[in-house]
Amino acid sequence: MDQAAASEDILLDLRNISLSFGGVKALIDISFDIRRGEVRAIIGPNGAGKSSMLNVINGFYHPQEGEVWFDGKLRGPMKPHQIARQGIARTFQNIALFRGMSTLDNLMTGRITHMHENMFWQAIWKGRAEKEELAHRERVEHIIDFLEIQSIRKTPVGKLPYGLQKRVELGRALAAESKLLLLDEPMAGMNLEEKEDMCRFVLDVHDQFGTTIALIEHDMGVVMDIADRVVVLDYGRKIGDGYPDEVRSNKDVIDAYLGVAHD
Amino acid sequence: MIYREAGDFKTSYSADQQTFPIGFDRWTVRVVVIFAFLVVPFLINDYWEKSILLPFLIWSLAALGLNILTGYCGQLSLGTGGFMAVGAYACYKLTTMFPEVNILFVVLLAGVVTALVGILFGLPSLRIKGFYLAVATLAAQFFLVWLFNKVPWFYNYSASGQINMPEREVLGFIVSGANAEPWATYLFTLLFVLVFAVIARNLTRGRLGRSWMAIRDMDIAAEIIGVPPLQAKLSAFAISSFYIGLAGALFFGVYLGAVEPTEAFGIDKSFLVLFMIIIGGLGSIAGSFIGAAFMVLLPVLFKNIMVGDFGWPTDTVQHFIFMLVGGLIMFFLIVEPHGLAQLWRITKEKLRLWPFPH
Repeated sequence: MDQAAASEDILLDLRNISLSFGGVKALIDISFDIRRGEVRAIIGPNGAGKSSMLNVINGFYHPQEGEVWFDGKLRGPMKPHQIARQGIARTFQNIALFRGMSTLDNLMTGRITHMHENMFWQAIWKGRAEKEELAHRERVEHIIDFLEIQSIRKTPVGKLPYGLQKRVELGRALAAESKLLLLDEPMAGMNLEEKEDMCRFVLDVHDQFGTTIALIEHDMGVVMDIADRVVVLDYGRKIGDGYPDEVRSNKDVIDAYLGVAHD
Repeated sequence: MIYREAGDFKTSYSADQQTFPIGFDRWTVRVVVIFAFLVVPFLINDYWEKSILLPFLIWSLAALGLNILTGYCGQLSLGTGGFMAVGAYACYKLTTMFPEVNILFVVLLAGVVTALVGILFGLPSLRIKGFYLAVATLAAQFFLVWLFNKVPWFYNYSASGQINMPEREVLGFIVSGANAEPWATYLFTLLFVLVFAVIARNLTRGRLGRSWMAIRDMDIAAEIIGVPPLQAKLSAFAISSFYIGLAGALFFGVYLGAVEPTEAFGIDKSFLVLFMIIIGGLGSIAGSFIGAAFMVLLPVLFKNIMVGDFGWPTDTVQHFIFMLVGGLIMFFLIVEPHGLAQLWRITKEKLRLWPFPH
């Protein structure tokens, strides 16, 4: 593939990102890209800066240096909710569902970037607001079917077990129908069966909707199986980037994970 | 046995998301509304109007307003009394400046004025949260009451410092002032409460309501999935203040007729409304009504029983009621911290299965 075609293909391009909190350097001069339609994994030991990286991508942190190019455009100073509207959705490491709301309402909230009827029509409800609501309900019901969570549609999410909450959170991110889906440890704290289910869902999302996915995950087996390309961070620096096989045999990566003798 | 979903199949999403999914509830509500509009006006007398129905309706409206802000959007406010005062004074100033404008519109406009003031005092909520916001709204409470006491323009330079509601008509029937018939004031208030309760339900079930609840449950996640916090919080402040302003305008214009701000709209009123929604149920439309009924009607009921039936001295009864109501508040909060609306919801769940719970 030649250079021009490759740049057409790139959905997100991070160039020389540096982020620090006071004296703590969280990310140091990191560059990598995410191609359209791929599953890109970000891995690294604890504290490597993976979650900070995601927070930079969805605009929650503003890097001191570097450029974020999304969908061919350089991102200016923006608020996270504006970036969500551009088409980036995410899940969180610690479940961040709206606990007081039902599964259905959580998913409907995920579609909030697509709903536009103003306050006046909503107050009247009959007519435009109801029509919009039903159209979006239809879309959300597809996702409910897809994730097989029909039975918990009206259950407050606070009452659900952990595995299901993770699934609902994935559903909420899917409901946004975003261009880029960021998954922050979607399989953390799950047993083998739940992990397999979740992998299936991630791959199905990728196949059926063609969504570009960036995910953080600690389980190396999972990462090597489902990721198209992997980027490895350690202490805020990028130490590896490439196809799973390349990364697996990279000496720096092995050192970072297994530790090296200090002499 | 009648309380069943069985056989009541929902075949469309619009049927599935209706307000009262159970047939029995739908019919009860219809009967109650028809009764309230068509039967009660013929039975009502001065006592029922002034001591029971009007205060219940008006406080319900105020509770509804605060519930939108605190229950749905999670922004704690202690400024309710102050915002009610804004509604009352806006109503007074507007109706004395433009006597020819129908009182219906004056009350609505008073709500709009209060909404604007609410937005102004809601601005700190973009920076501060929780108890700190409560303290900021407390400032609104004291400032507004002070303002209406100190600036004579607001009370039209009257010697007493009070405001007095002039006589106003709707469709030829007097609804304010001393000559208003009980049924007219009752219907006027009921109309507002019913219409705005339906609107509150509509607003909270859709996009706006979800963005409020998202901010309440987890504000950072809400922002990241695309809820603009500025819009969500300020719209909650605006709509909540609108309702509270309506309640203030009705409280002054239709119910009391004459008010003095320190007494009528003091900090105790802010707490009263807050207690209503805590006991009734945060984030519940029905809870606002139940809470208002609890705080307004229970003391009246006890008083009637103790003074009327037992013949106890009034002052003893007064103190006894304080203790009794206080005790009941604690009792219900221990039984169900999420309020009476939640208790009712659980009862409904049980009723559906009754008499075979397994």
